Amino acid sequence: MRWRLWLLMAPAFALLLSIFAAPLLHYLWLSTQVQSVLTGLKPQPIGAQQWLRLWNDGRFWQDSWQTLRFSAASVSLEMVLGLAVALLLNQPLRGRGLLRTFSLLPWALPTTVMALGWRWIFNDPYGPISRMLAGLELPAIPFLSNPALTWMATVGADTWKTMPFVALLLLAGLQTIPTDLYEAAALEEATQWQTLRRITLPLLTPYLLIALLFRLAQAVGVFDLIQVLTGGGPAGSTESLALYAYLNAMRFLDFGYSATLLLGSFAILLILCSTVALMWRWSLRWQGGLR
Amino acid sequence: MSVPVSAGDGFKGLELRQLSRRVGSHTLVDQLSLTVAPGEILALLGPSGCGKSSTLRLIAGLDPASSGEIQLGGRNITALPPAERQVAMVFQSYALFPHLSVERNLSLGMELRGMARGEIQRELDQVLALMQLEWLRQRKPAELSGGQRQRVALARALIRRPALFLLDEPMSNLDAQLRDNLRAELRTLLRSTGVPVVYVTHDQHEAMGLADQIAVLREGRLQQLGTAERLYRDPANRFVARFLGSPTINLIERGTTQLGLRPELLELTDAGSPVPQGWDALEGQLSHREWLGDRVISHVQCAEQGTLRVLSREAPTSAALQVRWRQADALRFDARSGERLPGSNTPHTD
Amino acid sequence: MARLLLLLWSLGPMFWQLYSSLKPSEALSGVGAGGWTLENYRQLLQGDPPFLTYLINSVEVGASSTALTLALAVPCAYALSRLSRRQARALTSLVAAAAAFPAVLLFLALLELARDWHLANQLLALSLPYAGLCLPLVILLLQAAFADIPIVLEEAALIEGMDLWQRLRWILLPLMAPAMASSALLVFLFSWNEYPIALTWLSRTELLTLAPAMARIAGSSVYTIPYGAFAAATVLGSAPLILLMLLFQRQIISGLTQGAIKG
Repeated sequence: MRWRLWLLMAPAFALLLSIFAAPLLHYLWLSTQVQSVLTGLKPQPIGAQQWLRLWNDGRFWQDSWQTLRFSAASVSLEMVLGLAVALLLNQPLRGRGLLRTFSLLPWALPTTVMALGWRWIFNDPYGPISRMLAGLELPAIPFLSNPALTWMATVGADTWKTMPFVALLLLAGLQTIPTDLYEAAALEEATQWQTLRRITLPLLTPYLLIALLFRLAQAVGVFDLIQVLTGGGPAGSTESLALYAYLNAMRFLDFGYSATLLLGSFAILLILCSTVALMWRWSLRWQGGLR
Repeated sequence: MSVPVSAGDGFKGLELRQLSRRVGSHTLVDQLSLTVAPGEILALLGPSGCGKSSTLRLIAGLDPASSGEIQLGGRNITALPPAERQVAMVFQSYALFPHLSVERNLSLGMELRGMARGEIQRELDQVLALMQLEWLRQRKPAELSGGQRQRVALARALIRRPALFLLDEPMSNLDAQLRDNLRAELRTLLRSTGVPVVYVTHDQHEAMGLADQIAVLREGRLQQLGTAERLYRDPANRFVARFLGSPTINLIERGTTQLGLRPELLELTDAGSPVPQGWDALEGQLSHREWLGDRVISHVQCAEQGTLRVLSREAPTSAALQVRWRQADALRFDARSGERLPGSNTPHTD
Repeated sequence: MARLLLLLWSLGPMFWQLYSSLKPSEALSGVGAGGWTLENYRQLLQGDPPFLTYLINSVEVGASSTALTLALAVPCAYALSRLSRRQARALTSLVAAAAAFPAVLLFLALLELARDWHLANQLLALSLPYAGLCLPLVILLLQAAFADIPIVLEEAALIEGMDLWQRLRWILLPLMAPAMASSALLVFLFSWNEYPIALTWLSRTELLTLAPAMARIAGSSVYTIPYGAFAAATVLGSAPLILLMLLFQRQIISGLTQGAIKG
């Protein structure tokens, strides 16, 4: 009987291994090769050269910084807003189901579609924001040409798109909290803030962590949004690691270095997520252990 | 302790020989041997975790046996998959398929076995009529009451025409009233199948009211096998004595032995009364009474021996009481091991 | 008040697209007067290839990815839910890690896969990486659903003499219908929205799925000034999904949360 179970799992795991594990191993090999226009697109062993190049590549470090800054900003915004929306949707309001559906819509739309949409909204001088400002006789905001503003525009568009996912996940978590806990708190005459702080947040902890880790991983891999909304510009100021790796492979046809960049991104992702998970656990232990 | 001799290979009923199931270092069923003749109902009785459900799952083939043998109708079925054992099982939760109507719940097995449509219809009509389920045939399980669901589960088992009937606490999800009413009906139905029936329960009333034989299990081991009356009057050990009978048997210490005193065999008189020849007595104070309608349970606090439960027709009139019993009525157990000691009036034959 | 703000935040940008798509370009650039027009849509639908091609391509890829994912995930999830707890936990944590993995990091290796196996510019071949990328979430979701079915139902079927296929077909899968519907919708959404792999696997214009087509429109000079056509493209590209969301919101939401929570 046992072997039959393994047989049933085999096809799925075969595909999973070839889609997830095999590429990473392949990158590991490819990062020791040079495969570019110079070699006629044939791989030639080159040892640790690519890794040295990565280490000395200012653009890699700049993109890492930009990716991390983008991830930190948009994930924290999403968590805060997502929690607020989840709390709102968890109240017994009229039309809650419809509101939930509507607020989830941005998440369901293709990133490239809405990135194009945002480009139009942020357009200067014809986008709605610029027009509104013009109507109020205020100076226009060059969202997509000033580096600092462009960065904020990407964070805003990303938050718009993925906050609903966080909200929905936290809402599901909120709905697992038994209502008698809130009734007990009400009998104790706890304030709303105390209830949130002492009951809701501690019981929501696992959901917050899941949402945080999942969103962090996805944000570090940001690609679609940046490519369509800003193309990495202006002057590379919004370029993400994934976009840089993509350009290396598809535009510069430098596959060996692209693989090295992808592994570098993966390492950063791994470090980031395990740091967050560890810090989370420590802070729980420090608070006397909630789990 | 009764270990039945092997019934021989020509035996048409169910026979377990030294059947065991171990999981890791845990023994769920330990060297269990017993036989159930065709048309006979055997109850496996014991507290939860005693191995009665594990035994049933072994017989059904849902779990593999670690050692020992299961014979059914002279055939060794120990290693057969459940489908080939020709057993039917009624589960505690009934396990009705929630997405199928009553009718389809009964017929699905036959359909998949490739039975002819007309034949299925005939069997279906017959069983539905027998179980008085005709008017429910299109309903889904969620639309049925607990009692109706149980009847559907029984019908699904009956329609298989099994060589062996297994029931796992089929009454435990019904309310007490319904349970009392169903017992006789179920007994008649099960006996009419003419095949061995194994019935798992933790409820002594159910076992006593339904079964021809009761096997009391504890920690995977058979404690005693016999009729309800035999188990009650002549228990093999303290565990069996305590498990059967309500109110529970009284146990009092006498040195290295323990006396087991059935509450209905105790008599109450005023404290200080003379004790007749061949009787024993304790003095105590009445602590409280439970009135059952036709009878009364008196709880009498006896200094050293704790509280004795006495079942009588009349309520005691005074608070200071003497509890007495015929010496021959007392069951004697070894205080340490709990084994029955010889020397009571009911001879312990085995 | 908070509700209104939330609605405005979620729907505002979409309405702006809808509004823009129905305006002539002169109105959008502030030169001409108002008025409504379907010109943007006409331009889009009569383009070369017509915009509808992308939508049809996306539907095809979505349907085949969904079918493939379910065909692989159902047996796997069943087996996982029947394994011993320790083995299942080890495997599920691996699967959960894969579910969070950003797919874009895989594009280069998948690109080489497509080249070596001649899968590039084959629309339906995209279902292979899509199924692989969706499998983790769908396996978690279906495994949780299998675990919710009382095991006695399967045992009852076993005693009735049903083999594995019959148990799945007649007992388990009908009870799994809601979870399967949720999974199917999530896979469809994913493949509708997926960008980097479609971008690198497909180069022939008439084979593009919606996401790379949108990016190409965004990058092409033809459309830089007439934002109305951009907006019309975003509206047409989102409309099927919005419809799907409105029709099946319950299934999508339960799938999304169940998969994430139980995994």
